[in-house]
Amino acid sequence: MMQQQQPYTGQIYQPTQTYTPTSAQSFYGSNFEDEPPLLEELGINFDHIWQKTLTVLHPLKVADGSIMNETDLAGPMVFCLAFGATLLLAGKIQFGYVYGISAIGCLGMFCLLNLMSMTGVSFGCIASVLGYCLLPMILLSTFAIVFSLQGMMGIILTAGIIGWCSFSASKIFISALAMEGQQLLVAYPCALLYGVFALISVF
Amino acid sequence: MSAPGAAAGGGRSGTAADWGGFEDNMQGGGSAVIDMENMDDTSGSSFEDMGEMHQRMKEEEEEEEAEGEAGAAEEEDGEFLGMKGLRGQLGRQVADQMWQVGKRQASRAFSLYANIDILRPYFDVEPIQVRARLLESMIPVKMINFPQKIAGELYGPLMLVFTLVAILLHGMKTSDTIIREGTLMGTAIGTCFGYWLGVSSFIYFLAYLCNAQITMVQMLSLLGYGLFGHCITLFVTYNIHFHSLFYIFWLGVGGLSTLRMVAVLVSRTVGHTQRLILCGTLAALHMLFLLYLHFAYHKVVEGILDTLEGPNMPPFQRVARDIPVVSNAVLNTTAKAIALTL
Repeated sequence: MMQQQQPYTGQIYQPTQTYTPTSAQSFYGSNFEDEPPLLEELGINFDHIWQKTLTVLHPLKVADGSIMNETDLAGPMVFCLAFGATLLLAGKIQFGYVYGISAIGCLGMFCLLNLMSMTGVSFGCIASVLGYCLLPMILLSTFAIVFSLQGMMGIILTAGIIGWCSFSASKIFISALAMEGQQLLVAYPCALLYGVFALISVF
Repeated sequence: MSAPGAAAGGGRSGTAADWGGFEDNMQGGGSAVIDMENMDDTSGSSFEDMGEMHQRMKEEEEEEEAEGEAGAAEEEDGEFLGMKGLRGQLGRQVADQMWQVGKRQASRAFSLYANIDILRPYFDVEPIQVRARLLESMIPVKMINFPQKIAGELYGPLMLVFTLVAILLHGMKTSDTIIREGTLMGTAIGTCFGYWLGVSSFIYFLAYLCNAQITMVQMLSLLGYGLFGHCITLFVTYNIHFHSLFYIFWLGVGGLSTLRMVAVLVSRTVGHTQRLILCGTLAALHMLFLLYLHFAYHKVVEGILDTLEGPNMPPFQRVARDIPVVSNAVLNTTAKAIALTL
């Protein structure tokens, strides 16, 4: 029964605004071409990820304390996934272990660093730093695909990689939290955490 | 016969509203004839009827009151809130208030008990201090006549417990220990933290009984640093498999750290019996724990050597170091003979 049909007031290619848009969206308007790129909307900035990766890979480079101000979990997620993938290539399906250990490790480091630092620290910052510093461990597990790490060379390589990861992580934490003179105290728990990851890679 | 019945029936119907129960049993005004057909079968006494009448009257009153109340409440609600038929609005408000009070109380309790800031002073250390305390934990003090100072710090002990967990995990992995009903990580963490917290609490309780001057944090700190000897012993003996080496380390390194803890406790306790109880318990538990860790979490050598393959043998693992490359059978029999003699 179409007796009381309302006249069509809109235009077919431009939807009428039926709500008040938020300030971010109002800038972009409502056209398809004016929408922001998906990555920008999600907050994934590849340039920043690359910068932080370079900071981790270059152990002697002085870390800028402000680089960890933005909590970026996209990079760490990618690295955890890559670590699990390299373990998969070596025949170990241990994604669950990787995520579980990283979650518990982040929680432990969060409690410890909150107790040890003058200013507090957020959980996102901790997770971000520890995730980025997992990158050398991916090199170790890549190496484990081809060679067995249970020999003397494997032990030396594992120890070196653990040292590299924990040194980078402690360097970034020290500069971000202004804890002078306590780098060794922060590096040791990081070394224990990365040691557990290395244990998964090696055995 | 019908006239008194009629009179009684008439009299009864006249007063049925007030005292109907009585009328069933009471006879008419002065009549000696009982009208059986008007007798109520169930009423043996007048109390039940009275009770029924009262109940009926009460129900009627309640209904009236309820209707009156509902009307009054609705009127109140209507006047107060300007909406009709919202008798549940009051209930909702009360429920909302209760929820908020409960939430406030829960968050206050949480912030009181889960406040980890109370542990902040125990983590304020320098690397130099930690290193000094680690080395001191292996040196027994000589002066037991006045109370020795114990550092009330929790960073070092916590890191040592985690190190012990890592060493245990490493030992379990290299010996392919299989844990049913659990995980390797869970077992290692449970054992180490259980020992540290449980034995500290137990010794603190004994110290309270024996009147020793020590606080809980100091006890945790003392026992935690005492695990340094355990870490060294296990790290060495999980990688170099000689039983005699383990016993030397057990007595030497384990004994030194136990002696240090015992000396500190003796300096803080008065009385021979009390000292004996406290220090004997601690020494026994500490030494036996090291023995347990070695034997429970790392398979003994014989079991591993049986599974070795000759050409694929990794260079450093599970082989006695000063034996030249010989055939597998000779290696196995030699190892078995050594193990049997120990």
